[in-house]
Amino acid sequence: MTTPDGTSSADLPSVRLGEASQRDRRWTLASLFSWVVALIFFAPIAWIAMSAFKTTGQILSVPPLFIFQPTLENFTEMFQDPKIPKFFFNSVLLSVGSVLIAIAVSFLAAYSFSRFKPPGTDFLMFLLLSTRFVPAAAFVIPFFQLFGILNFRNTYVGLIIFYVMFSVPFSVWILKGFIDGVSQRFDETGLVNGASRAHVIFRVVLPQVKPGLVAAFVFNIIFVWNEFLFNFQLGGTDTNSIPVALFTALYQGGAVNWTYVSALGTAYVLPLAVLIYFFQKYLLVGMTFGTVRGEV
Amino acid sequence: MTEAVIKSKQPELIQGKTGKSAPRKAKSRFSSNTLWSGGLLVPVLLFFILMNVVPTIWMLGLSFYDYTLTSAKGMEFIGFDNYTRLLNDGPIQLAISRTFLFMVLAVILQTLLGALIGFLFWRADRMPGRRLALTLLFTPMVLAPLSSGLFWRLLLDPVFGLINYFISSLGFEPVNFLTNPDWAFTTVLLVDTWMWTPFMALMTLAALGSVPKAELEAAQVDNLSMWQRLIHVIIPYAKFIIVLGILLRTIDVFKTMDLVYLMTNGGPGDRTELIAVGLYRLAFQSFNLGYSSALAVLLLFIAIALTSIYLFVLNLRARKELKDQS
Amino acid sequence: MSRKFMINSHESGITAQLKGRRRGFTAIATVGIAASLVLAGCSSGSDDASSGGDNPLTGSTATNMQGKSLTLGYSRIGGWPPSAAPEAMFPAFQAYAKENYGYDVDLTFAEAPFGELFQKIAPTLAAGSQEFNIMIVDSQWLGALAEPGWIVPADKIYDLNPELDIEPFSSLVASTYQVYPDGSGQRWGFPQMPDTQGVFLRLDMLEDPANQAAFEAEYGKPLPTTYEEYEEIMMDDFVEIVAFFNDQDNGMYGTALQYSKDYDFFSCAYYPFAYSRGGEIWNPDTNQIYGVLNSDVNAAAMEEFVGLKKYQPASFATQGIGEVVDLFTTSQAFSAFQWLAIGKFMIAPELEGKVLAIPLPKFEGPDGKPKIVGAMGGQPWVVNSFNDDDHMRVSVDFLKWWYLPETQDSFILENGGLPWSKEGLNNETYLNSAPYVRPFKYMLEEGRSVDFWHVPEYAQMLAVQQEAWNGYAAGTVSSAADALEYTAAKQQEILFNSGRSEEPPPEGTASLTLQ
Repeated sequence: MTTPDGTSSADLPSVRLGEASQRDRRWTLASLFSWVVALIFFAPIAWIAMSAFKTTGQILSVPPLFIFQPTLENFTEMFQDPKIPKFFFNSVLLSVGSVLIAIAVSFLAAYSFSRFKPPGTDFLMFLLLSTRFVPAAAFVIPFFQLFGILNFRNTYVGLIIFYVMFSVPFSVWILKGFIDGVSQRFDETGLVNGASRAHVIFRVVLPQVKPGLVAAFVFNIIFVWNEFLFNFQLGGTDTNSIPVALFTALYQGGAVNWTYVSALGTAYVLPLAVLIYFFQKYLLVGMTFGTVRGEV
Repeated sequence: MTEAVIKSKQPELIQGKTGKSAPRKAKSRFSSNTLWSGGLLVPVLLFFILMNVVPTIWMLGLSFYDYTLTSAKGMEFIGFDNYTRLLNDGPIQLAISRTFLFMVLAVILQTLLGALIGFLFWRADRMPGRRLALTLLFTPMVLAPLSSGLFWRLLLDPVFGLINYFISSLGFEPVNFLTNPDWAFTTVLLVDTWMWTPFMALMTLAALGSVPKAELEAAQVDNLSMWQRLIHVIIPYAKFIIVLGILLRTIDVFKTMDLVYLMTNGGPGDRTELIAVGLYRLAFQSFNLGYSSALAVLLLFIAIALTSIYLFVLNLRARKELKDQS
Repeated sequence: MSRKFMINSHESGITAQLKGRRRGFTAIATVGIAASLVLAGCSSGSDDASSGGDNPLTGSTATNMQGKSLTLGYSRIGGWPPSAAPEAMFPAFQAYAKENYGYDVDLTFAEAPFGELFQKIAPTLAAGSQEFNIMIVDSQWLGALAEPGWIVPADKIYDLNPELDIEPFSSLVASTYQVYPDGSGQRWGFPQMPDTQGVFLRLDMLEDPANQAAFEAEYGKPLPTTYEEYEEIMMDDFVEIVAFFNDQDNGMYGTALQYSKDYDFFSCAYYPFAYSRGGEIWNPDTNQIYGVLNSDVNAAAMEEFVGLKKYQPASFATQGIGEVVDLFTTSQAFSAFQWLAIGKFMIAPELEGKVLAIPLPKFEGPDGKPKIVGAMGGQPWVVNSFNDDDHMRVSVDFLKWWYLPETQDSFILENGGLPWSKEGLNNETYLNSAPYVRPFKYMLEEGRSVDFWHVPEYAQMLAVQQEAWNGYAAGTVSSAADALEYTAAKQQEILFNSGRSEEPPPEGTASLTLQ
């Protein structure tokens, strides 16, 4: 259904379509099975989360312990190491910082692509997407040489710039889709009424693509948050994020430090789990890089 | 009428119409529009050139050199030698074909399972706590692949792992998931399936959501069986988004690295050595920058080909929609 | 209620690409040229420290570092306790530097597991960075670090600071941690943590009279229980003991060795089986591998090594250093072949007093006499050649402090370190400080251990053999001979391509795979 009437299809309906309101809910065979499936998929993570509250001996116990005296020691120990809070700080700074910048620049570009269709738009959109589809290892070598020359290695600036580029392709795709969904009549009306182009962009179009901004934000955060290879190679002691911490401090006394892995791994996935709970309606648009929109 | 809306072509349609009705405005704003269209692109272009074009050129350039970081020899221009070597490199070719096999199996498995699960959740649209259940279902796909690899190493441990505990309590012999050559590849495949089936379930849900309600209701009135409904009503509408999902998975499987590196390190032997891991080894274990760049260029071409297919399908649909509308 | 699904499509297609190509190419070319200019302008070189009076390689004097404050960066092997010790001991260096030279110094470090630390530091050095002023590296990396000029020749520092040049216990110290190219006598590294191989046994199980009686009844000879008896034990006899204690139904494995594909785990565990029987891995003079490594002796040794799997968990093929520690410390293995440097962690608190550490059992050598040649482990310090003068001074000061007797005392007696000097290994306090020091000394005697290649191609060569050999252990490669044949051909190709060997690999090596 097209929307020439000017209704912005970028506004995702505020009612959660896939989810009935409270009183309509009921247990059916399908819903029971759905829950079982969800729990099966979550079980491995739940087990690791449980392990985070165990001692090493309890984790390695045969048979596995389902009932045990939980301990917070792994977490207190983890956060007592001054490096861990620093790694968390780096993870947050790098992901939030770079994604915000990426969204800002992507929004401007997406607006231009959507409204002016400058020559080469399609080619550039294509390139953006395809470079993001190459295995990361392909680009590591040129990047570390480039970063050496620019003196970007192990600096926040360098890594943020890198992650901005990492986030731009999907952001442009997501936002262009949303801006396309805002009728040009808004722009036309604004301009006819004497508003400046800047006013149209920031006051008229921007507020209408908020869902797109949120989707782009949430999904790029997930990608940057989980990124390992580039942070490992381009970052350093000052700028490493949690995946690198998880990897480099994996062993202790020669053996895999399972309490560390489970405590840090759990603490690290928790924010993302919360994020997808609250922003579930943006999941689809995010995971398809803005090429499919809608709700589940 | 379909409710799946193809957006990208629309602005042009609208623009075409409005353009005709107000030609004078378009003319007077011509230069300012050019300025705006270019100006808005500047930041992204800057990032794109610095962080994308330059590294790509660099990579291309390196691929023509014999250059090992740790060798005192320095760089030596060797033309296409790295590429001819690639054509003759048994282990690399094996890794590429193994990756394609992995890709095909993973995508089939994930699509089928995902479709089932998606369908289940679609039927259960009034289930209590649906949002929470979906969150639990989707968590595996937002878990860092690196964490996932580590977590599964613990879960699959033959001695103290949870999975083998269940297997032995069911009366079976414990399985050496990561060491047994008959199992390792399957295990990695299954873990990848665990991570990404939720994605295909998500796509299935979206696809089912794109089936117009009216059509479904009509099918119900006509008393079609579930199977008939599936074949005649649901699939014609749903197939497109599912195809997109399949393509996205295809592209993504091709990149699988962290998971394998942490879980099996490509082993036992070379059983789970996927091409992204192979590339990483060439680049960072051997520091063979020239040769690894040649492989990177090859993978870049594969990625470009896959992206083209993806966008081709998107456009196919867009054209069809446009035709239907006109 | 309606659900809306929107597909943002995008015209890509060949036409779009063609449209964009011309413009794109010009831009690309421009950027490319600019980038290469930048690259050319930045080729960095480190000035050789002048040999004048105030040479930074001499370290600090009483005055030239007064009042300064700086940070020393060091790299270390993640989860490898001996390389974490300098961090724990650092406050003593801070006090030493303040007192003697009047400067303040802090420490930062980066760590990564064995296989990945080199990946971490090499790019920084290639970029001419002094992120890591002083580095703990694995001995095999010496060539890769020395050839591109990334590290300061140790000889230069020794010339200016003769007190650092301490007499080692045996020539193994220099040949493993210091010299590159092999046999040249040129030194690049400073011993940090020496290491040799041994076996850890459950003394409490050996001393159990019931076990002794049962063993005697079964094998008609007494069960050896003392270090002295085990020092001379033959592998075949040792395997009998392993078999005796192997009680898998009750969760006790006879032994644990390393077969993992990670880093050099399989290789180092396997080498003693080959070396001791006279097997060779290459000809170091001609850099020839094919025809040397793929020998019958080596194949038989590998079969023997992998044959020990029957006394180990079914997942033996993923056992690395860590897995072996886990098996032994959780009382799931009676014995464990392990690096002695990690002894402190093999003897977990609950195993205190219950562990006997011994040298590797002997094999029948080529001359029919009992012989053991283990693999050398351990790591040297190396100094970054891109250090600025101040950091160079601090790095040298640090080394001077590191080799002070009181520092070594703290390293060995409190932090699980091992000595390597002639004096240190004759120090009774050190020898009796832990059960693993004596076997360590035994294995460090001339000829009892040997390190493998130090050439820059080591990582590539190592990856080939780890994959093939682990494949044989796991069963993806049908025979040890095949695994060795493949390895020898591929490694010959690597050395031939890099110009290190004149011997070309056999026909068709490039397309050879493990399938």
